[in-house]
Amino acid sequence: MARRPSDSRERNGTWRVLAELSVPSEPGNERRAMEAVASAIKDLGLTQQRLERLKTAVAEAALNAMEHGNHYRAELPVLIEVSASDTQLSVKITDEGSGPPAFHAETPDLEAKLKGMQTPRGWGLFLIKNMVDDMEVTGDEHHHTVELILHLDGRAEGGK
Amino acid sequence: MAVRHLNVEVRLESDVAVLDLMGEINGFAEEALNTAYQQAHAKDTNTILLNFEGVDYINSTGIALIVGLLAKARASHKRLLACNLSEHYVEIFNITRLSDFMGIFPDEQSAVSEISAS
Repeated sequence: MARRPSDSRERNGTWRVLAELSVPSEPGNERRAMEAVASAIKDLGLTQQRLERLKTAVAEAALNAMEHGNHYRAELPVLIEVSASDTQLSVKITDEGSGPPAFHAETPDLEAKLKGMQTPRGWGLFLIKNMVDDMEVTGDEHHHTVELILHLDGRAEGGK
Repeated sequence: MAVRHLNVEVRLESDVAVLDLMGEINGFAEEALNTAYQQAHAKDTNTILLNFEGVDYINSTGIALIVGLLAKARASHKRLLACNLSEHYVEIFNITRLSDFMGIFPDEQSAVSEISAS
């Protein structure tokens, strides 16, 4: 069973919030979110590879939140909370969508896409899962939240 | 941070149609990318090379656009190659398996040399 970040948080106790920010749900703003998170964690000493992976995961989660959660309504913000403990980095990305979180559920298969049997799109969740150590998607009638987790104790090795 | 809309220049290099991509490959890039691809296709070469030297951001929508170009290239029996991807985007191309279907080269010279030799 995947480790639940909230459980980890309870176990590890001391978390510090590095940044809380919001971006309007407008096309292209996922990059703004990505760069803001990168700036917030610049002192954590992530390797370039780990940093680039996290940036991609943040951008994809923010893109999904703006597009599918908030339907690109600029007045609906995407909220981002960045926090860290001694061993983990957490980035929570929250939209104001209702119902189940709207990620493309089908695992992307490039051959099927090239044959026209799958839409060319649908890479977001797949990329996120491959870029971070753990993720959790939660939702209720008012919000969806994607939490991205990186294990900081592995940062020196530069592994996933 | 302002969006850097994609600008594409198309040129012919040793029987290879080269697309010099500059900017971001995201949802805004669809028209520029498809128009440039049509121009490259019209040059009647067997190979089209995507030069990513001027690209610093590709998102999942951009990956989908590249998948679309690859599908078009395969349908018309052309080779689609890529060069000058950053280390991170080489990893993304590996994870998505794009690299299984399009040759990835570190730079334009190595791509063109490979094509000339084949």
